[in-house]
Amino acid sequence: MGGASLKKAPFFMDILINGNSHTHKGTGSLDDLLKELEANPVAVAIMVNDRVIPKAERVAVTLKPGDRVEVLSFMGGG
Amino acid sequence: MSEVLPAEMDPSVWLSLAHTASESDVRRALSNEAPTEADFAALVSPAAEVFLEDMAQRAKHLTESHFGRTISLYVPLYLSDYCPGGCVYCGFAADRKQPRSRLEPDQMLREFGALKTMGFEEVLLLTGERSPRADFDYLCDAVTEAAKHFSAVTVEAFPMTTDEYRGLAAAGCVGVTLYQETYEPIQYHALHRWGPKRNYANRLDAPSRVLEAGMRHVGLGALLGISDPMFDTLALYRHAHALRRKFWQSGVTISFPRVCPQEGGYQPPFSVDERFLARIIFAFRICMPDVPLNLSTRENARFRDGIAGVGVSKMSIASRTTVGGYSEPTCSPDGQFEINDDRDIETFFTALRTKGLEPFFKNWDRVYSGVGISK
Amino acid sequence: MNIEKKFVLGGQEFESRLLVGTGKFSSVEVMLAAIKASGTQLVTVALRRFNRERPSDDLLSPLAKLGITLVPNTSGARNALEAVRAAMLGRELSGSRFVKVEIHPNPHHLMPDPIETYEAAKQLAKEGFIVLPYMPADPVLAKRLEDAGCAAVMPLGSAIGSGHGLSTTEMMKLIIADSGIPVIVDAGIRSPSEAAAAMELGCSAVLVNSAIAAAGDPVAMAAAFAMAVKAGVSARRAGLMAQSCYAVATSPLTSFLIEGKT
Repeated sequence: MGGASLKKAPFFMDILINGNSHTHKGTGSLDDLLKELEANPVAVAIMVNDRVIPKAERVAVTLKPGDRVEVLSFMGGG
Repeated sequence: MSEVLPAEMDPSVWLSLAHTASESDVRRALSNEAPTEADFAALVSPAAEVFLEDMAQRAKHLTESHFGRTISLYVPLYLSDYCPGGCVYCGFAADRKQPRSRLEPDQMLREFGALKTMGFEEVLLLTGERSPRADFDYLCDAVTEAAKHFSAVTVEAFPMTTDEYRGLAAAGCVGVTLYQETYEPIQYHALHRWGPKRNYANRLDAPSRVLEAGMRHVGLGALLGISDPMFDTLALYRHAHALRRKFWQSGVTISFPRVCPQEGGYQPPFSVDERFLARIIFAFRICMPDVPLNLSTRENARFRDGIAGVGVSKMSIASRTTVGGYSEPTCSPDGQFEINDDRDIETFFTALRTKGLEPFFKNWDRVYSGVGISK
Repeated sequence: MNIEKKFVLGGQEFESRLLVGTGKFSSVEVMLAAIKASGTQLVTVALRRFNRERPSDDLLSPLAKLGITLVPNTSGARNALEAVRAAMLGRELSGSRFVKVEIHPNPHHLMPDPIETYEAAKQLAKEGFIVLPYMPADPVLAKRLEDAGCAAVMPLGSAIGSGHGLSTTEMMKLIIADSGIPVIVDAGIRSPSEAAAAMELGCSAVLVNSAIAAAGDPVAMAAAFAMAVKAGVSARRAGLMAQSCYAVATSPLTSFLIEGKT
């Protein structure tokens, strides 16, 4: 079957985001997820199932149902 | 092999201050709660001479805070005077004519017995430079036996490898003393005419190896008078400071052996008068208040009594610097250096107690002073 | 250590010895203005969960514009594992290797956990982070953290937000005397004079947060702190005058010495 150029078809997926249930509508890519959350990709850090996903590796990640995602950003702190 | 003082020990940058410090530099040093290296240089400088009494008062106060009104006692036991070395200033140099000997195990036992009867719990075992008749194994065996009898066994011998120091520690040694003699490389070479001691860098690094091996204490010192005493004093301070910074879980002890002119023998090129000696002892006490400062029987009774508890916290007494000599007359009549305080223990105790000082033989039990935490 | 000529952390030299925390400000605008006024080059930030109902104020770009180095802290972590994870996230976000290890499991007094802090610092130093551990003012712990590879130690002055100033002065002196790395006092500083005092004591830098954020005029207070830190550094370098020695009347101790006796 085809290579990386084939676009994946969008679908629904139940995952956890920041501890809350969320139904993701998209391809399961982190890019899609961030768009869904209206988050600036540069201003957030992502963990999937307790693993920190470096920005460079985001493109390699596809979410699965039940995945626990943490999306974090900076706030003021001492 | 580098024949140069490493930067952390090189006192050159402080020499000028040590000679030209002003009275206000000394005053500032005396009032500084946490004296710095610059303060040390001011306190050993000639300008500090007029403040000697103030320095003594401060030194006494600090000695009392850190050590109480007590003096820790130890005794030196020379195991052997075999020595291949050629140190110009030393009674054991290889070109000296006296017959050499070493203690055999049965003699050692008798010496240990005699010392224990006198009350000693801390013994310093000494040899000359590494020689076939007094090598590492001989020393290690002696430590093993001594550790059965004394609460604290320390050693003053030849520079060893880290592994050898570990071996000594395992045998029961809790501390090693090794004087650099002089930190000045050119003079060092002139004075150490032949033998393994010519290796300046190896000797300089040895105290670091002692502590690397996990040994609890290392004793430092310079033989004052064989070279510029100001240079050596400042370098000694830097050496102690560097070791304490790196090996913060171990202790450093500082001694102040002052070489005396020998009749018909070695004449030290630099004169070190007792006011200078007192000044540097006070300066070390003020700048390193928690470091034990040690004075041997090279110094006379008057000086020792005066300075006990005023900076000095540790002393030897009833010493012999010949091989053995405590249980029976020794075979080697000539000691390593001349003893100037030959009082017996009873007399010494009385003198100290008159000053309000309590001499003690035993500090920690050896089981608490074993090899330290590895890094 | 005595005040070194340059303030160097993780191989980078910093002009300003005032570090500023970004928490507790009434608004991002005030916070940014205060940071500018402070002249700081190092600010701490914390991680929080992104929440799109409350669009996160982007701290990254305005701070970057000021040429500030971000120091993500691990606040919220209750143990070393969580702190290491927070540090990884922080590095991801900031692109900087700096991390302030901050583990305070007790929410009432916010005292740092020495054991978890040591474990986290050791691990993070191995991973190549420039580790600044927030710690109790303990001289032995400070040396352990130094041995573990930290770039500095950050002993507390007093409890976070308490404004009780330098209550740990005696311990700070011991830490400063033995430390081979910069000592940055963190937490509890309330006034610029306390910051100056910390510098006169020999600290390499101070970290101030609440005292600026909760001041009546945070921007003016930030500027005041900047001046105070500079004053403290200058004073230490200038050499404070000798205090008068207390006179203790005892009998002379040096009469036993004979002049010229060798």
